[in-house]
Amino acid sequence: MHTALRFGLPEMEGSFEQLSLIVNIGLPILLLVVAYLIGSVIEKRHFQSIRKREDDVHGFPVVSFDTMPDDWNASSSDMVTGSIVISLDYFKRVIAGLRGLIGGRIKTYEPLLERARREALLRMTESAREQGYDAVFNVRLETSRLANAARDGKGTAGVEMLAFGTAVKLANRIG
Amino acid sequence: MKFIARKPREGINVSDEHPLVEAVTLIVGLTAIFIVIALALIFIIEVALFFVPEKTEAELFSGWIPDDLVTVSPADERLEQTQRLVERLAGHWAETPYEFRVEIDDSDVANAMALPGGLIIVTKGLLDQVESENELAFVLGHELGHFRNRDHLRALGRGLVLSLFFSVITGKDVANLGISATDIALRGFSREQEKKADAFGLAIVHSEYGHVNEAARLFERWDAADKNTLAIVAYLSTHPQPGDRVERLRALAERDGWRTDGQVTALGWQGR
Repeated sequence: MHTALRFGLPEMEGSFEQLSLIVNIGLPILLLVVAYLIGSVIEKRHFQSIRKREDDVHGFPVVSFDTMPDDWNASSSDMVTGSIVISLDYFKRVIAGLRGLIGGRIKTYEPLLERARREALLRMTESAREQGYDAVFNVRLETSRLANAARDGKGTAGVEMLAFGTAVKLANRIG
Repeated sequence: MKFIARKPREGINVSDEHPLVEAVTLIVGLTAIFIVIALALIFIIEVALFFVPEKTEAELFSGWIPDDLVTVSPADERLEQTQRLVERLAGHWAETPYEFRVEIDDSDVANAMALPGGLIIVTKGLLDQVESENELAFVLGHELGHFRNRDHLRALGRGLVLSLFFSVITGKDVANLGISATDIALRGFSREQEKKADAFGLAIVHSEYGHVNEAARLFERWDAADKNTLAIVAYLSTHPQPGDRVERLRALAERDGWRTDGQVTALGWQGR
């Protein structure tokens, strides 16, 4: 209230004002840039790893039918799960927060959740293959938000993506 | 049914727009929207000011003092002398509705401010820095100019309305960028107000002393002390730079043919 009409003196304008501007504008921008740079490197590497491992499990049947197809002849079965907990970076959160003011596609979250889905499915598939199963059916995906304890549970610490399904050993290989 | 293994298809769930494009679009766009809303609110303040006459304001705030103000002892001789100087200067503003009151803020930072109800606050630091009555008279005249232009109510109203408006979005902690940008954009208005108050202050000083000698001495000293000013600082400031103010005052005096030499009056408490 008192600030706007001050007589205007160099000490205040010079140092205090500049300092508060640096804190108010410079710091968030610096954080944004750092978070963006680190976040995009991590995301790029994660997608590379996902694609490579998807090539590795290529051909392993993972389907969402809730009953086993008739021509599958299962000798044993078990539930397999794959889960990932993934967090957003400052850049994604800030941009999504701005998006939240006007609405629309939260484009910065889309690759994050895409990574989570594919990683969860991969972990489930890899786990099924390691245990010697031949296929997974009735595959489902579930998401749950992890509350951030620091802000009375109002903020989001990250999301868990859980993939689960019924893995089967087949007497007859499917071709 | 035949099983055919396929790789996951890319590009369906993820937008191919570059994240930086979205970031820049959002930040620039929202800042523009903030500024437009802020300007609309400021326009509302201007309309409201039209309906609150000066007399009403003077009565409403008569005797009001901010709670957080730490004043010096009322026995300080400088308080009474500054009060008398303000009354003398206000005598040149014939139709003033205010009964001006002076308080001294016990702060070492040189400053002065105009608050509703005709309250002028000068800091102890300012009284320590001024070297003649003419210097002090210009500062006080400048504050009288704020009353004249009703800037003190604008500042109050803007602060109130903008903080209400921004409190709606600050909860998101990400809107700070837009808020700061809006704040800076609005400082252009503030600088315009200061220029007008400077002009009024100079006219008052001229009416009082018959010349404007030494009126801008305070700025000249500040300007000499602060030489490394970057262009960006000027843009970010609420007040014009001291050097620019000195030049503008000099041009004003020249335009109106006011004398820039003349007897400088010593301050009562410095005379001995």
